[in-house]
Amino acid sequence: MATETVKKKKVRINGCVASAQAAKYADVDVITAYPIRPYTATMIALAQMVANGELDADYIVADSEHSQLSIAHGASSSGARVFTGSSGVGVQFAYELYSPISGTRMPVQMMIADRTLDPPGDFGSEHTDALSTRDMGWLMGWSCDAQEAFDNHLLGFRIGEDPRVLLPQMVCQDGFFVSHITTDVELPDTGQVKEFLPPYKHPYPLDPRRPVSHGPQIMPEQGPPLQLERARAMEGAVPVIEQAHEEFAKIFGRKYDPWIEEYMTSDAEVVFFLQGAHGVTARYAIQHMRQRGAKVGLVRLKTIRPYPTDRVNEVLSKFAVVGVVETNLALGSVSSGGVLYAEVCGALYESAKRPLVLSFMAGMGGEAIVLKEFYWMTQKMLDAKKRGKIEKRTHWVGFEE
Amino acid sequence: MPAIEVQRQMLPMFGSPNQGARFYNPELPQTEPFVPGHRTCAGCGPSIQYRMTSKAAGDNTILVGPTGCMYVANSSYLCTPYNVPWAHTQIGSAGSFTAGVAAAYEAMIRKGKWKGPFPNIICEAGDGSASDIGLASISGALYRNHDCLIICYDNEQYANTGIQASSRTPYGGMTTFSPPGKMVPEAKTLFPKDLARMMAAGHPHCYVATASVGYPIDLMNKVRKGLNHKGAAYMMIYTPCQKGFVYETPRSIDLGRLVVECGLYPMWEWDPAKREFDYSFRPGSMRPVSEYLKLQGRFGHLHAEHIATLQKFANAQWKMMGVELPDALLWAADAKNLSDMAAADEAVAVALTV
Ligand SMILES: Cc1ncc(C[n+]2csc(CCOP(=O)(O)OP(=O)(O)O)c2C)c(N)n1
Ligand code: SF4
Ligand SMILES: [Mg+2]
Repeated sequence: MATETVKKKKVRINGCVASAQAAKYADVDVITAYPIRPYTATMIALAQMVANGELDADYIVADSEHSQLSIAHGASSSGARVFTGSSGVGVQFAYELYSPISGTRMPVQMMIADRTLDPPGDFGSEHTDALSTRDMGWLMGWSCDAQEAFDNHLLGFRIGEDPRVLLPQMVCQDGFFVSHITTDVELPDTGQVKEFLPPYKHPYPLDPRRPVSHGPQIMPEQGPPLQLERARAMEGAVPVIEQAHEEFAKIFGRKYDPWIEEYMTSDAEVVFFLQGAHGVTARYAIQHMRQRGAKVGLVRLKTIRPYPTDRVNEVLSKFAVVGVVETNLALGSVSSGGVLYAEVCGALYESAKRPLVLSFMAGMGGEAIVLKEFYWMTQKMLDAKKRGKIEKRTHWVGFEE
Repeated sequence: MPAIEVQRQMLPMFGSPNQGARFYNPELPQTEPFVPGHRTCAGCGPSIQYRMTSKAAGDNTILVGPTGCMYVANSSYLCTPYNVPWAHTQIGSAGSFTAGVAAAYEAMIRKGKWKGPFPNIICEAGDGSASDIGLASISGALYRNHDCLIICYDNEQYANTGIQASSRTPYGGMTTFSPPGKMVPEAKTLFPKDLARMMAAGHPHCYVATASVGYPIDLMNKVRKGLNHKGAAYMMIYTPCQKGFVYETPRSIDLGRLVVECGLYPMWEWDPAKREFDYSFRPGSMRPVSEYLKLQGRFGHLHAEHIATLQKFANAQWKMMGVELPDALLWAADAKNLSDMAAADEAVAVALTV
């Protein structure tokens, strides 16, 4: 049974369904599911597509997220295109598998709709779940709306499966703010997808006709070259990511900067630095603050792994103050707040003209960051600029005057 | 899901199945998918089993190796003993990774992305993996009925980490996590998980069997039955480990027979079509458990009462198999008729010094 051929069309769907649609367009062979909100909606949509015969794939209801990722690993190792996903504690239940999957260079794709970790039981979107895996060798980035999510899934397969890269991808979206908000999404023509995304062909699959061993034991002295190779794979992905985005623009007509989106930054003095859906609210807040004369802008990080160190340095060095909006929790860390602060400061260290950097703990537990809070944060940045130094490194938004 | 029309190879059974098969069998295939030159201990039961299993399966095979001795001591980077594709997976991923391989081949063959007969997909999980940390993953694979054979090579302990108690370690078995001492003279106080039966009971659509390296042809025939069965199959195979059991290296196969003759490792098959156990396997003779225990240092600390407890356990297994118990075995289940193991007093003395 062949996967249905469709013509380009506009639909109104949420982020979860957009991800499911992307998996369908990519004609995935194996899907592994385990329920946890909010990403479940993606798997619900895929289950229906398989049941309806719209998508020919082995849909496996796993017994846990650990199994979900292990099944995905086994299937990808055998040469199948694999799609999986999770949220919150589910992302962490599978933790053991992240390094083996990237280390054996299997381009599994995982959709994440963020959810706050336990405790407490909470459905809200906080990025800590996926960010806790950020150094495991997966390509990783956040989408800010359903269209971008759809596009990033296709880009993910294309980049991760490139024989020069062969790395798994975490395609992340905020729970609820993206996953459950319905917007206009343009679904492409299947022909466009065929042109953009060649079939998956791993160079060394588990195939009885050409026996190979995957993941044998090493001696410690064999470790350095293998770890170096893993690091090089990440670095080697950079040009492939850029090339894929260019071709994507040509074929689908949507042009994205793969690393950073700048909004009203040309004359900005202070900027927000963040990932994901809160960028949408930030854009409105910036329009309002600009009417009041504040020269504020937005720098939205689109790919955190591989981290665009030089781009972040180059872009952020233009401003006087950077306000990092974390939406994640890194207890006892550099800023005693979130992980992004250290990523930003690390990139800026070599800059000749270092901006002041503030860390804003906002959106914790998945609470919406409302306009008022963006205004407040803008004021803090303007104050720091005026003073020429920061009042303090980390502000817990909503807890201070 | 559309019906999967895939080519399958059916493997024929070997003649002269079990009892006296200690001679060269000309029907055995020449192929050696698992070659010598690896780093397992001399006389390693699990690797003897590995050779038999892979020989029975042949070259159209994919092997999955969760962490354990059969990963760590076998696979060495740049030098591999596997002549067929093999992949390491995590110790808790035995069933899940294997399911992924099977699902991939089902999908790829159905979608025309891979051409050829469906491969034999075999997972070689240790008892630690199969009875503890990977139990759910294996149950998942059996429940979903992926076309694969999952083997628990049962050396009755976590061997590779230096001999620790698993859910398969027998009552009275000494390991580094279950040492004998003043408070626990018998060492391991719990009885082993009845793993294979649990798999048969919970997944009755699967072919399930127990086997032992003491009966190679029987073992290989069961492997072939498991592979010929369309859907998931499971085997639990007795594979002694001289490092953990502490015995003379050349006696691995002897132990593999004794454990069955003493009633401590019932041999059976679960027939998924008839939905019944087949207990027809009969060892050449029946013996008291002490004959098995006394060959192994791990039981050296046992007192008469512990040996009697193990005999009662064995007698219950014989009964379950429908075997009439001879008087000698009933007699051996009474501690009054038994003596302590030679090292039992020493074990107590050592325990008092700690
Ligand atoms: C998640 C995890 N926990 C613990 C270990 C440590 N470990 C390595 S080998 C091993 C023993 C496995 O025992 P078993 O499955 O019985 O195989 P055997 O070593 O006896 O062949 C353990 C516990 C591991 N590799 N991974
Ligand atoms: S410790 Fe036991 S299982 Fe491991 S290689 Fe040695 S004999 Fe085999
Ligand atoms: Mg073991």
